[in-house]
Amino acid sequence: MQLAISKLLPTYFEKSRSETSEIWGKDLLWKKGEMIKIVAPSGSGKSSLINFLYGMRKDYEGNIRYDQHDLDKTDAESLASLRKDHISIVFQDLRLFPHQTVQENLEIKRQLNPYHPKEKIAEMAERLGIGKKLPSLARTCSYGEQQRVAIIRALMQPFDFLLLDEPFSHLDNRNSELAMQLMLEETRARQASIVFADLERIEFFPFTSLYHL
Amino acid sequence: MAVSFKPIKPLLQTGTNSASRWFSYAGLGIGVLLLLCSIQMFINIQRLLKEGSIRKDGFDYISITKSVTNETMGTPDKNQFSDKDLAELRAQPFITGVSPLLPNDFRVTLGAGSVLAFNTDMFLETLDDDFIDTLPPTFKWQEGETNIPLILSSDFFEIYNVFAPGQGLPQISRETAMGIPVQITCEGNGVSEVFIGKIVAFSDRVNSVLVPKNFLVWSNRKFGKGQEVKASRIFVKTKDANSTELLQFVDSKKYSLNKDKTLLGRNKMVIQGIFSGLGIFGLLVVLLALMLFSFYLQLVIARSKDSLQLLLTLGYSPRWLSTKVSALFIPVYATVVIAAVLVTQLMQWSFHHFVMYDRPELSSVLHWSVLCVAFLLILLSVFTNNRLVRSLLYKLHNN
Repeated sequence: MQLAISKLLPTYFEKSRSETSEIWGKDLLWKKGEMIKIVAPSGSGKSSLINFLYGMRKDYEGNIRYDQHDLDKTDAESLASLRKDHISIVFQDLRLFPHQTVQENLEIKRQLNPYHPKEKIAEMAERLGIGKKLPSLARTCSYGEQQRVAIIRALMQPFDFLLLDEPFSHLDNRNSELAMQLMLEETRARQASIVFADLERIEFFPFTSLYHL
Repeated sequence: MAVSFKPIKPLLQTGTNSASRWFSYAGLGIGVLLLLCSIQMFINIQRLLKEGSIRKDGFDYISITKSVTNETMGTPDKNQFSDKDLAELRAQPFITGVSPLLPNDFRVTLGAGSVLAFNTDMFLETLDDDFIDTLPPTFKWQEGETNIPLILSSDFFEIYNVFAPGQGLPQISRETAMGIPVQITCEGNGVSEVFIGKIVAFSDRVNSVLVPKNFLVWSNRKFGKGQEVKASRIFVKTKDANSTELLQFVDSKKYSLNKDKTLLGRNKMVIQGIFSGLGIFGLLVVLLALMLFSFYLQLVIARSKDSLQLLLTLGYSPRWLSTKVSALFIPVYATVVIAAVLVTQLMQWSFHHFVMYDRPELSSVLHWSVLCVAFLLILLSVFTNNRLVRSLLYKLHNN
């Protein structure tokens, strides 16, 4: 699968933004297996871009294509199956079910299209240091713990593109690195791509392309 | 591996506003009960009244006259059936056949000869043979014969036996009456002729003295005034004397008919009207309950909006999700409708057993159409529910 972006610009941005940006207003083609790093200061439209790429918002000009699927014209069912089989995401605002346990939150995602057996949940949680939190309600976990749950959740499914929107905003360096290691392993196992949007460059992400938004 | 709904179910806040939920269940139950009971009673009435009419070869025969009012008194034309009236009657889909009762157009007197000192003015009429309930093969006449076969109304014969003792006349049995020849004198146009009449049958249907048609045509020509003879009374042959269309037609033309035979039909019209009204009311209650239930569903979905939206974001199919969410309520609908069917069954059994004393034309078991309607109602509820949930979820997805 490949991701093609053509002349993309949020409708609420001035046209002049495309002159300074390496992404807005440009034609880009990202193939499976590439590691894309997008560096952007606050307010430059990072979350908007990730939301556009995940088909969550449509307030943009230009178009986004996953192979033959034009996201703007994809119906609800096809979009659901794209998300289930080809695109995974870690949201900046985490988006967990607060009244479900960590285990339940992960299982809800895993059962949709199981890439891993159930036992893998505990193994990954252990690796990121939240093994003991599996039976706890998500709302009782700290932001850092919730962020790790969101990361593991994104790895429960098969994907060609993994979209990351400031995935380490609540994690210290050591935990960030551990999480990144896990994501890289999982992505390589799928021969997939990561599109990683963050405020600054992170040393432990071996990108193949770097863009300034 | 199929996706399980089990971990999703707790995300729906169905326990909220349970009063509205229970009201809608109760409403649905009452509506369905009213509707099913009305249908069953409608069928009961049909079955009861089918047995109540006097029939021959699957047809009812009833006599119709024009109502004589103060305005039409003295103008026989207005009280007799014209050819146009007869044609109009024949054209009605619920009337299979029409036969006028043609009267005599001359003076007729009846005497018992030497057997009884009895003499009276009388009338003769004729009717098409296939409208007569008791038609013996001897009911035939040919020109030149002096014997005329008669079919006498059973009612007239009974009346004779009632007044005979007061007049000093003997009461007689049917068999004797059929053995006694009577003298029938026809007079007119300055001619008089005596015939020998013999009763060959008694009719329960026709209140008249019937003679073979060719005799009356011949005698009207010979003794009559020469004018066209029109009938004041006609017989119609119909599939159902209690049919509402027939009664409505008769009423609209201001005809009067044999009330005994159509009394059931008139009651049927009223009772069926009442049960139709009740059925429609039941249907309205069902619709109201479904609306109330849809409000409850909208509330459930609004309260569970965040969870449902997140499920869609994670890649759950809106179609799968809406099917699963609406399927949650299928057991509720099925339980409510089945409970209503059971209560209807109990009511039908009680009606048959305690009110109708197990009459054979009714059944203690519900009619199949009631069960079909119940099944259709479950389908209707499930369908409307599914549509609603799906549209709400797609709306969530697009937000």
